[in-house]
Parts: sequence; C-alpha cells; structure tokens
Amino acid sequence: MAAFFQALLQHSFLQHALLAGLLVSISCGIVGTYVVTRRITYLAGGIAHCVLGGMGFARYMQVVHEWTFFTPMLGALLAALLAAFIIGWVNMKAKERIDTVISAFWGMGMAIGILFIAKTPGYGEDLMSYLFGNILLVSQRDLLAIAGLDLFIAATALLFHKQFVAVCFDEEFARLRGINTQFFYFLMLALTALTVVLMVSIVGIVMVIVMLTLPAAIAGRFCLRMGSMMALAAGLCALFTFGGLALSYAPDLPAGASIIVLTGVSYLLSLLFKKR
Amino acid sequence: MSQPIQIENLNFSYGPVSVLEDANLSLGEREFVSIVGPNGGGKTTLLKIILGLLEPQSGSVSVFGKVPEIGRKQIGYLPQYTSLDALFPVTALDVVLMGRLGITRSLGFYTKSDREAAHAMLSRVGLDKFHNRPLSALSGGQKQRVLIARALVSEPKLLLLDEPSSSLDDYVEQELFDLLQELNKELTIVVVSHDVAYVSRYVEKVICVNRVVHTHPVSEIDENLIHDMYGEHVHAVRHDQEQE
Repeated sequence: MAAFFQALLQHSFLQHALLAGLLVSISCGIVGTYVVTRRITYLAGGIAHCVLGGMGFARYMQVVHEWTFFTPMLGALLAALLAAFIIGWVNMKAKERIDTVISAFWGMGMAIGILFIAKTPGYGEDLMSYLFGNILLVSQRDLLAIAGLDLFIAATALLFHKQFVAVCFDEEFARLRGINTQFFYFLMLALTALTVVLMVSIVGIVMVIVMLTLPAAIAGRFCLRMGSMMALAAGLCALFTFGGLALSYAPDLPAGASIIVLTGVSYLLSLLFKKR
Repeated sequence: MSQPIQIENLNFSYGPVSVLEDANLSLGEREFVSIVGPNGGGKTTLLKIILGLLEPQSGSVSVFGKVPEIGRKQIGYLPQYTSLDALFPVTALDVVLMGRLGITRSLGFYTKSDREAAHAMLSRVGLDKFHNRPLSALSGGQKQRVLIARALVSEPKLLLLDEPSSSLDDYVEQELFDLLQELNKELTIVVVSHDVAYVSRYVEKVICVNRVVHTHPVSEIDENLIHDMYGEHVHAVRHDQEQE
C-alpha cells in the first residue's frame, strides 16, 4: 500500500487513473441510483455490451480506413446511445418479452464488436482492454472527455431531480401530473448510456454493471432519500475505485478486476448489516 | 361549471374482448360515489379511461368539460398501493411533493411554497409529524394517507381512489372513510371498491361495472342486485344492521 502512494506521487499515469476513477464515481452514483430504484439493471447490462460493437467498429475504421477522429470512445458513445434508444423504444412499444429482446441486443452488440476487432490488425490487446478495462491507460485527453460527460450528467440530474424521482417511484402518477414520462425515461436511459461509456474505460464492458448497481445497492440499504443515496453511492464508488487501484498496484493485479472484487465483497458484507 | 365526469355511449375492448359496452355515466359536483364490480369486470379500465390513460374505441368522455388528457389536471389520483415499490428511498414529504408536479416550476428543486403546501396537506391527513419518515417505515393506513395527501396537494376538484382499503384492517378502513367523508364537503370523490357492503354506508351512489355500467342510488342496493352483478356466492348485505 505504501508503495502505491509513493508511485502515485511519481507517476502521472497513476494520477490520471485515480482522477478518472473519482470523476466517473459521480456519474456512477447518480445513474446507479436510477438503475437500482427503477430496476433496469438488465437493460443497463444490455447497453454496456452493445458498446463493444461501437468500439470494435471505431477501432476498425481508425486502423483500416484511417478515420483518425473516430476513437473507440466515440464509437462507444454512439453505440451506447443507439442501444439505449432502441432497447428503450422496444421496451415501451413492443409486446415482446423485454428480457428476450435485451438478450438479443446484448449478444449481437458483442458479436459485431468481435467481428470488427478480428478484422483489425493487431487486435488482441484492444479486445482485452475493452472487455476488462484499462484504467492505467487513461490519457489527458480522455480525462477531459470524462470530465465533460460527467458535468453533463450531473447537471441534468440536478435540474430534473424531481421529475426523475417521480418517474422512478410512480411513472403513472407522474404522467397524470403532466410530466412527459417518455421523455424522461429516454433521458434516463441516455444518461445510463453515457455513464456506461465512462465506466468502460475504468473497469471494462463486462464489469460495468457491477459498478452501476452495487454501490447504489449498498447505499440504498442505509439511505432514506434518493439524493443521499446518490451521494453515498458516489462516495462508495470512489472509495472502491481508489481501494481497488491501491490494492492491485504492488502485486501487479488487473486494476478493473480488483475494483470489482472489492465492490462485490463490500456488497456481500453490507448484507450482514441490518437494513435501515 | 361543467360536470366532473360525463361519459356517453362508451365502448372499449382489448382486441376482440369487449370490456365495456355502451357505458353511460354522469357525476355531479361533490358527489361521493363508489365504482364496484367483480375483478375483470372493467373497473380499472373505466378508471384509466377517465384518467386519459386508455382511449375508448367509441363514445365520448369528458372530465370537467374537457378531454381527459386536459381535464385530468383537476383529478387527484390514488393508485393501488401494491403497485408501488415498498423499499423506494423516499420520505412521506417527498411523496406528497410529487403531487406538486405540473404546478411547480419545471427546472430545479421544489420551491418553498411547494413544501408549505405539502406540509399543510400532511397535517390535514394527520401525519405532519411523520414528514421525515421513510415511506417504508409507515403502516399501511399511514401510507394510504400519505398517498391521499399527494393526491390532494394539487388542489383537485375530483378525488379518484383505486381500491384504497384493500390492504387495510377494518379499523383503519373506517378512519379512511371518515376522512373521505370530511373531504367530500369540498370535492367529488370516486372510490373503486370490491366491497359493496362496506362502501354503501358512506356513498350516495354505487356505479356497478361488469361490462355494462349501471348507476344505482344506495337505497336500491340489495341482494338481488349484488346477485346480478357477481353471480351467486356473495354474502348478504345488511344495511339495516350497520346503520343503526
């Protein structure tokens, strides 16, 4: 642990990693609270896995067709928003079983990503870092993008807090009070998509759903209101990111997986405490 | 002032299944009525049509002289509590504040006047000292009162309650209806219930919904009517004893 703090002072990549983790925690706490209370975990998981399609496509275009502007993060952003819109729309309109529909997108999103990555020269490392995250590779430019998205998510959540709470608690009532519940449902999914993209750089696609649900779930056991649940979830998310990073440093473990295990164990331990 | 609810020749079906046939219904100001009928008879459908959540295939519906989507702003609605998440992190005051949506500003948090109105309404239902309690820590009767306060805080002219007493014991149910009776001095109240015997002690009219819609003054309610509505096995109603 001491070695970690020493390294933190010396290496800018570690400072970037930590800063990224702390920034993302804000969105994670806010959006995680929506996901948990509105019970759209599986939907969020579907969006997360569709992201691979976007990242694979972007990487392919970058390498093979030299679209240099088309970064994997931009691809992830587009794929996440598209997936959120389509899954949300199907959920609202279609009479299909929604979990089946999500499974279809979940699998197809990943498959498309794998196909593109397979056709991209030098694919091996890319795939691993997309799937399992690589917090230590966060660049200064990534940090700026993360901060921008973070600010947007937090501002939106703050401005429309009462509408989001009402839509999560009792959508029908909110609609009767003249709230455009469809709009807020899609806005919530869009915020979820943006947060997924932010988390992917930290813990990777496969483990996003853990960070999006467990800190909020722990917070929900102790908090009486949405606002405090968001704050505590964000704090926990920051703590787990910091802790996982610190614990993984000396034994040279993958940071993303360490963060996830720490989060999961903390959640299980929280179950031992009595609920509020 | 137009009537709270006016329904004429309304037909509604889910696909080939006819739910409501040629329904007519008229409700005057400050009436206290109950919608009764068997499960699957169309009570909830009728409610949702009045609230503008479902569109009938034919017929006209007006709520305070307007189409339901507009007129429903004057309605305070109490859904069945079982449809809500019992563990949701909100306090009693948070829930009541939701009733201010559509009145309050759209950006930012609730205003001071929203909070004052919510506190006032919680006092009205006798729960202001519990305003900071989480909803999950309140009893069934208290939760119902919080939801009634939420329905009332928008100052509606019509209160619509969907099975408000289904999860309450007898004593709390009576408290609830006493409260409704008092509120009835100012507003029109419609209670959906499956317990004809109980509600007929309080309401003036009973609207029987079982694919067809008939309105009866309470005095007409007797065993034959209930038999017609529900089929056979329903325990007899004894207004004579209960109203002594």
